Amino acid sequence: MGNLFPNFITISIIVISVLIFSTFTLIAFNLTSLLKIWEDKIEIIAYLKQGTSSREVEPLLNRTRLLEGVEVVRYVSPYDAMDFMATKLGRQKSLLEGIQPTILPPSFEIQLKKDYRNSTKIKEVVTHLEKIPQFEEIQYGQEWVETFSVLVHILRLTQWILGGLLLIGIVFITSNTLQLTISSRREEIEVMHWVGASPGFIRVPFYVEGLLQGLLGGGLAILFLFLLHQGLFLYIPPSMQAWMEKIPVLFLPPETIAWILLGGMVLGFFGSFVASMRVLRYK
Amino acid sequence: MNETMIEMVDVSKTYPSQISALSDISLEILSGEFAFIAGPSGSGKSTLLRILCCAERPTSGEVVVCGMHLTAPGFRRLYQLRRTMGIVSQDFKLLRDRTVNENVAFALEVTGHTRKESKLKASDMLSRVGLEEREEDPILALSAGEQQRVAIARALVNSPPLILADEPTGNLDAKMTLDIMEIFTDLYQKGTTIVFATQFTGLVKRYSYRVVRILKGQILNGRKVDVTQVPEVKPGE
Repeated sequence: MGNLFPNFITISIIVISVLIFSTFTLIAFNLTSLLKIWEDKIEIIAYLKQGTSSREVEPLLNRTRLLEGVEVVRYVSPYDAMDFMATKLGRQKSLLEGIQPTILPPSFEIQLKKDYRNSTKIKEVVTHLEKIPQFEEIQYGQEWVETFSVLVHILRLTQWILGGLLLIGIVFITSNTLQLTISSRREEIEVMHWVGASPGFIRVPFYVEGLLQGLLGGGLAILFLFLLHQGLFLYIPPSMQAWMEKIPVLFLPPETIAWILLGGMVLGFFGSFVASMRVLRYK
Repeated sequence: MNETMIEMVDVSKTYPSQISALSDISLEILSGEFAFIAGPSGSGKSTLLRILCCAERPTSGEVVVCGMHLTAPGFRRLYQLRRTMGIVSQDFKLLRDRTVNENVAFALEVTGHTRKESKLKASDMLSRVGLEEREEDPILALSAGEQQRVAIARALVNSPPLILADEPTGNLDAKMTLDIMEIFTDLYQKGTTIVFATQFTGLVKRYSYRVVRILKGQILNGRKVDVTQVPEVKPGE
């Protein structure tokens, strides 16, 4: 019973620390997944200069298709663009009455190969497109893709900085609370020293205890995170549910869970190792 | 010719409070020898024994026990040293939450014996110290004298070649003291080296073993038995 309180404290601290780290991991994981989904939908729209003749379109299409990273190119005439806008406006399409389609520039919708659907590679394709004089303007929604990439990057950085701080904290706290456990068994350890128990015989149970505390703490943290993740859907207002359906909120994949559990065990072990180095010296 | 079991050369021990417990003592105890370390309370007997079992490091000098240089820099074989000796300390060092048998068996279990074997050997040793009836009793139910006997049983259960006993009969009555001395004598006759610290001159006089007299941290004599300078203290005083 004497060991119960320090053990409870150690496991609780590990649970809280791993839960904080796992929450950041989960958020970063979902934002990365979201970024990938959006990146998959990335396409380039290259607007042609006004006055580009229809004779020039076919050779230009062929030239664009030959660019590295380009998968599909579709010509969107001013009339197609007008139809698209009318569709988008729905019942308000009357707003377009009196507007001549010719004021809309013709364009190419360029879909990229899978490997090129990221903010770095897309720029390479855009650079090639910019060299073609018939293009007036090239758009690919770069600003929000880049902003989102930066956001994910900052989140990942925060996750690891926080992870590092929590790691030091866990080792420090585990080591200190394990010292309490060791202190509660001081009498037994003293007798062990007295009768010649090997250092390994004395220390190994504490290492195992640290490993188990780490495993249990990590496991409970993952369980709490899972419950939070599930609970999130229970409390989403119905008005947001339809919108949320388009954004899958995933739970951590099994390999990440395994890494977190392993990390918890390593931290628990390291904490007990530090504690044993401090207070289990043979006397 | 017997080999040297214990060798101390110019050993001094001064505590941080500048209290000198031992001053330049040199001592040689041969393998298979029974040596009383006799002296009054505070003379340095316990410090000497604690240095021999490496519970304390001397301030200066050299100590060799069972061929191990305890004062050599980086000496790390403490547990191997402790396995060569049975230690009986004044404060017993018993586990309060365990039974009598468990306390004795503990010394065997932590050195690799099976639980069953340890229990049997502990049982046998407890009958040798007259505690066969109390085996399953919690340690706190025993009197100080009985606890002393448990500590002795635990020190002897591993059959170590060296016994370091610090006032092992200090809490025992006259009859039990003689019974315990009989066990030590038996071990001595079987070749065990025994270093027995005591302040009771009556006990020292009764046996014709070597007496190393110690006073104010200094050894006063060599091999010759001379108890006249040891202050008279009788058991129970």
